Amino acid sequence: MALKRLNRIVQLSHTVSLTRPLHGSGCGLQLGAATQTEAPMESPRAVFRTSESEPASHGEQHIGQFYTIPPSQVKTIFPHGLPYRFQQQIKTFNEACLMVRKPALELIGYLKKADPAHPSVRYVLYGERGTGKSLSLCHALHHCSLQDWLILHVPDAHLWVKNCKELMASSYHRARFDQPIEASVWLKNFRVTNERFLKEIKTSQKYIWSKREFTDEGRPLGEIVDQGVTRVKNASDAVGVVLKELKAQARPGSYRLVVGVDGVNALWGRTTLRKEDRSLIDPSELTLVHNLRKMMKNDWCGGAVIATVTQTGSVFTPSSAYLPQELLGKEGFDFLDPFLPVLVRAYSEKEFESSYQYYRDRHWIQHHTVDSLKSILCVSLAPPAGHTEEGKKELLFLSNRNPAALERLCAFL
Amino acid sequence: MAASIAKLLRPWSPGVLPVRWTRYNPYYLEPEPSKEVYRIPVTELTDEQKAAQELKAVRPIKATPSGLTSSVFSDPTVSKFVNMMMEDGDKVLARSIITQTFESMKRKQVEKYHKAPATEKEGIECNPYTIFHQALENCKPIIGLISIQKGGKYYQVPTPLTDSRRRFLAMKWLITECRDNKHRRTHMYEKLSQELLAAFMNEGNVIKRKHDMHKMAEANRAFAHYRWW
Repeated sequence: MALKRLNRIVQLSHTVSLTRPLHGSGCGLQLGAATQTEAPMESPRAVFRTSESEPASHGEQHIGQFYTIPPSQVKTIFPHGLPYRFQQQIKTFNEACLMVRKPALELIGYLKKADPAHPSVRYVLYGERGTGKSLSLCHALHHCSLQDWLILHVPDAHLWVKNCKELMASSYHRARFDQPIEASVWLKNFRVTNERFLKEIKTSQKYIWSKREFTDEGRPLGEIVDQGVTRVKNASDAVGVVLKELKAQARPGSYRLVVGVDGVNALWGRTTLRKEDRSLIDPSELTLVHNLRKMMKNDWCGGAVIATVTQTGSVFTPSSAYLPQELLGKEGFDFLDPFLPVLVRAYSEKEFESSYQYYRDRHWIQHHTVDSLKSILCVSLAPPAGHTEEGKKELLFLSNRNPAALERLCAFL
Repeated sequence: MAASIAKLLRPWSPGVLPVRWTRYNPYYLEPEPSKEVYRIPVTELTDEQKAAQELKAVRPIKATPSGLTSSVFSDPTVSKFVNMMMEDGDKVLARSIITQTFESMKRKQVEKYHKAPATEKEGIECNPYTIFHQALENCKPIIGLISIQKGGKYYQVPTPLTDSRRRFLAMKWLITECRDNKHRRTHMYEKLSQELLAAFMNEGNVIKRKHDMHKMAEANRAFAHYRWW
């Protein structure tokens, strides 16, 4: 009955979820549930969707409901930001639907109330594997984008510290290393998200790229990005220049900047990259990491830093670690301290129900024991009497209400 | 020194002991995994079921194989297919390939479903289990060939096949077709999903192989009387 090695799905569902409500979420959810039970049972499909597509107007009453992101916004705001499995889901269902959940609502509330004149607040999303940290970050970034903020999104910082095919010594600083491919790819996607800002923001000093190439003072920032994309050798330095300029010019009067980094613990962990003499490279010796660390400091005003600490994709960290202290290490924690931690938990019963109804509506759960819509309509094909709820109970048990586990289980059922 | 020699002289015992024997005494009963059977109240049992329950009290029961579950999602045909795909006892890998196959088939069909106009939506089958069973059914040959020696020569003689042999041949052809005749850089789940979807529509190399088998049997009809059973 039990296979010798645990499958990844079983690993996900075996994580123990915290039961103490850190942010008083218990009463909030119950209030939400009370209003939801009034929804009519004849149209179950209506309960799990909301027509409110602006994250700014999402409230407690929308918790557990799915809102749709229009395809045009998905292409501009998230050219590289969404997790791979979610991108596949968008392609399959022909729509991008995100669930409104408590951690994201909390974040959006803080962002709305934050004073631009104060130094930028750092928010750290943490939680067990597969609970929805990356998508909560994307929800918050969607809100910021609709409020016309400048989005600086690093979809996975772990990709910068491992598996680098081309590592070259930096021309700017002798001890550092450049990653041309990662930097140029990031710049391309950054350009897609923030087209209009790149024309407005001007450089504050002259930058010399080589003997014949330079960018004058007062030129639009788009030129630096183009320089990085075309001359791939200078891409990492271009990234550094862009970050420096954005940080220096983010004042309360001008644009508001949000830095979203997924897997910020990569910046203070270890790398798998080696120098030519086979010694390991420290993250601080990578240009990209060095410049991104400077962005994570709270010595600038007029914006926010939202980060996620995740063990998925990280190197040399145990799979049971999920707290910021464990994943960031002493150095990272001291750098980010003080920050606002936001815990992301597994689905509540209402959210699980909503997710299950959404998958059924999209014809994703096909197994006959899980009460498919077809079996309701065709009496002759109806599963045996005891079977209608059996599949759902088993899904609940196997996934332990973990969002990623549920998604992977429903994928093949 | 003496201890190491003593270790070598000890009788060897295997590190992993199998629990389920291949040669059970016939009075051992098979295990019953489904929960439905145990949920029937005592008053509603038929006579046969009552007799079976009483027999369980006196007879020993075989050990359950590790692939048998009481899960509502378990399917004996799929388990058999997983076992046939398995190499070197790596059932985790074989099972993960099959689940990825189902996922990829479902993704293709659901994407087609959502993009199709309302009139065509009814005709698109999205359930990977239905597709798998139907594809397997389409691949099963009706008549087979066996090699019979007569007068120093071997003849391919047409013969009826049992259900289990038909199922085995269908699964074997699917797996070998995907392993041998596809591009080597594609993943197994991708190859399998393409082949299963093609077999569901009665196209593809496996269906062709089944038809070839039928044509050979038809061609060798004259030798049918060489079979004496």
